[in-house]
Amino acid sequence: MIAALLIASVAAGTALLYAALGEIVGERAGIINLGVEGVMLVGAACACAVGAMSGNPYFGVLAAALAGALISLVFAYAVVDCAANQLAAGLSLLLLGLGVSALIGNPFVGAVMPGLPSLARMDALVALVLPLTALIAWGLWATRWGLQLRAVGENPTAAFAAGCNRRRLQYQAIALSGMLSALAGAHIALGVAYTWAEGMTGGRGFIAIALVMFARWNPWGAVAGALVFGGAEASQLQLQAHGVDVSPFVMNMLPYLLTLAVLPLTGKRGRLAAPAALGRPYRGVE
Amino acid sequence: MSTDGTFWRAAWIGLAAFTAFGLILGIAGKHPLQAYLDTGAYVLGSLEGFTELFVRMGPLVMAALAVAIPARIGLFNVGGEGQIYMGALFATGAALHLAQAPSWLLLPATIAAGFIGGAIWALIPALMRVAGVANEAITTLLLNYVAPLAVAYQIFGPWRSPESSSYPQSPRLAEAATLPVLPNTRLHAGLLIALACLAVFAYVFHRTRWGLEMRAIGGNRTASQHLGLPVRAYVLLCMALGGGIAGLAGMAEVSAIQGRLVAEVSPGYGYMGFLVAWLAGPSARAIAGMALLFALISSVGDILQITQRVPFAVVNILMAAILFSVLCAGRRR
Amino acid sequence: MLKILICVLALASPVRAQDKPPLTVGVIYIGTANDYGYNRAMKDGVEALRKATGANVLEAENVPESAEAQRVMAAMIAKGAKLIMATSFGHQEFAFNLARSHPQVAFVHAGGWMLRDNFGNFFGATQTAWYVLGVAAGHMSKAGKAGFVAGVPIGYVIGNINAFHLGARSVNPKFQTRVVVTGGWSDKVKEAAAANALIDQGADIVTMHVDSPATVIQIAENRGVYSIGFQSIEARALAPKGWLTGLGFNWGPYMTETAQQVVNGTFKGKMVRLGLREKMLVVAPFGDAVPQNVRDAVDAAAARVADGFTPFTGPIKDNTGAYALRAGEKMENSDMGKFDWYAEGVIGRVK
Repeated sequence: MIAALLIASVAAGTALLYAALGEIVGERAGIINLGVEGVMLVGAACACAVGAMSGNPYFGVLAAALAGALISLVFAYAVVDCAANQLAAGLSLLLLGLGVSALIGNPFVGAVMPGLPSLARMDALVALVLPLTALIAWGLWATRWGLQLRAVGENPTAAFAAGCNRRRLQYQAIALSGMLSALAGAHIALGVAYTWAEGMTGGRGFIAIALVMFARWNPWGAVAGALVFGGAEASQLQLQAHGVDVSPFVMNMLPYLLTLAVLPLTGKRGRLAAPAALGRPYRGVE
Repeated sequence: MSTDGTFWRAAWIGLAAFTAFGLILGIAGKHPLQAYLDTGAYVLGSLEGFTELFVRMGPLVMAALAVAIPARIGLFNVGGEGQIYMGALFATGAALHLAQAPSWLLLPATIAAGFIGGAIWALIPALMRVAGVANEAITTLLLNYVAPLAVAYQIFGPWRSPESSSYPQSPRLAEAATLPVLPNTRLHAGLLIALACLAVFAYVFHRTRWGLEMRAIGGNRTASQHLGLPVRAYVLLCMALGGGIAGLAGMAEVSAIQGRLVAEVSPGYGYMGFLVAWLAGPSARAIAGMALLFALISSVGDILQITQRVPFAVVNILMAAILFSVLCAGRRR
Repeated sequence: MLKILICVLALASPVRAQDKPPLTVGVIYIGTANDYGYNRAMKDGVEALRKATGANVLEAENVPESAEAQRVMAAMIAKGAKLIMATSFGHQEFAFNLARSHPQVAFVHAGGWMLRDNFGNFFGATQTAWYVLGVAAGHMSKAGKAGFVAGVPIGYVIGNINAFHLGARSVNPKFQTRVVVTGGWSDKVKEAAAANALIDQGADIVTMHVDSPATVIQIAENRGVYSIGFQSIEARALAPKGWLTGLGFNWGPYMTETAQQVVNGTFKGKMVRLGLREKMLVVAPFGDAVPQNVRDAVDAAAARVADGFTPFTGPIKDNTGAYALRAGEKMENSDMGKFDWYAEGVIGRVK
């Protein structure tokens, strides 16, 4: 039963991890994106649409990644170039994603979807996620690009003075973040549910945002968090199947309550772990 | 800020957004112009269509106030949806437990319970904010997901109505606990409550000392603190008031529209209210106007769904278009 | 000039009154119509109605079981609908509200019990028919364990589970049915996780009562277990290897007849519960995995049910050990919504 629970947690947590990794990249560059859910949905819808049309799930995944990056550019333009309020822009992205995904996915509801082939319940996206985590961690802390990106997130004025191209770096971060969130959606669509349904991500985008705080903006912390959060979600159904009487609603609340509970723990110290300029629109040197 | 200027700016934005939306629909193979005309016919040509605008407007105004009040002091309350659900939950609890009470007591108690439910739900993030633990944007968002689960827990469990084949919903609320409704329509007193709250907000914010203090805090929190303004008290108060008003919207949905507590209390009023408040700013007239506009957009969505098989969710694109236009109209680099 | 105008109009009117405009029918679905399941079956019925009567059909999908439904139906009435079909259980109250305020419009609702002069209620008598599927499961399951994914645990659904289980037990007295509730009629991710969890627990047949069987069946197919479908028999296309059989609805004849009654002015709301005998329900074609002797047994069971057999005759124990039905007691068709117990051998709690 433990093995089954672990496998189910990995299946549920993979999407969370992809989305969280994307959000970490974005937030490390100083941008908080509340629209992750919308991008995930667009990724799911595109994965289903292209997958169903082409018969090949991998094309679907690629299409999803591309679509995620593209739709995030709208958000990027608003927050990077127009210095718009990031929270409002994020929610607008959420709405855009909800609507666009419904439009794209509508003709494909109920269509036979090619699922991602899996070996021992692990599909390609699950297998890729840990190497990807390592890549992102390396990218952020061992490369010059990563250093500049984090500098922009900590102190954009100083970064500007040091010659970093804030605009380019934030656009890159947002595009990358969009790609990863879309991959999360693609996994839910083609790796877990094998179908498209409106709003199928069910709030996981917001769990991912919480996960980033839980993980203290660290990719490896996100891995642990994704297992915990995925586990909370998976265990509820596993327990039911085992005959244990547990309220599905209380179990479903757990990820959110867990996040709220750990916020005070990361509280005073945790806030110092956040990129210092997170959420502040950059108004230029004046 | 001249009101003429904002009106024309709003009209311009609205036109641009409707056009963009129409283009997207056109690309998707639908007929936007026909949809807009059909909506006009429905809204102006039938009692139901016309009153539905105002039925939707009430909760939108209340949800917008839930955001607008804390926004005046610089807080982001994105938790309107959750506060609506908690208001619905508490109101149902009061109506069910006090069902034997005389009617002059039951309705006010239900209303009060709705307010309290929403207020409590907003106070949790407020307290966390005051304690320096977390930004209220995140905490209110998280609680948005907990509230509907709490409602589901109640209607699947302790409050499950024994009739109707154990379908998860609460028993019908007593007649005495329901808000008065205009006969033959679904227009209910909730709209009056919403407009009353709006009027009070406008008065307090623009014409009283408290409003002035709120504006000061919203403008520069540190300076206000140094001036001795009780910033923390305002944080708690404004969040509680905002949440309470959202709770009233939830109460109204349960009491006048659904008649009982069901799994889906609100079709996203909380999030739409955030957008209404964001677009309207502090002006009460603008809030009312935007709420009406959003109600109209929802009617477009209904018509699109019926006549052209477009999923209702697509109206979100229209709303996003409006929002991004406003957001990007700010500063261009 | 005016006189000429009046004459022309007077002449024109009788001519115009001759051609009756086609009936406008409004239909609301809780999900999307191409879901291989509940909504697909409803849509197939609506298509049959349209072909047979030439009616003008207004449809809305993804209409939630809340006050929004009332809004959508009211808009359809404003557009001239004279017959409204509310196809999901939770649409009932809202359709009924409109029936009260629009006495000249006919309403039919699927799966409920409310009735009025202009409000009728229809459904298939699914509970007894599930017994047949249980017989198939009993024969085909090597492990003697089945998994049942349930959406919303209302009495009717619990009845379906019990009938399935009793059917399986008539073949294998030690049969076990595990139930996992997802909490909603259509939550694909949860359905997938539920199906996986049930298979993890050893079930080698999976079935369901959710709006669309597609997700559960696909998971079953991926993991190499058998599946039994419900709602629409089209779902067998999804599981070429594992499909055993299923139960589907055939709404076309009922819907066409209702539309014709509305056109003739003879519509009157009544409670309609028809089953295998009247062909409102059909047992799906068998999958290749089912051997002939099992097919014969299943067909025989179907014939018994069509003849009036019901598995709900006492004595039946529930899964806490108490007697749910004593010897000589029987549950009638009208009691099907009242189930609040699981039969012995069903692993699950009736919350």
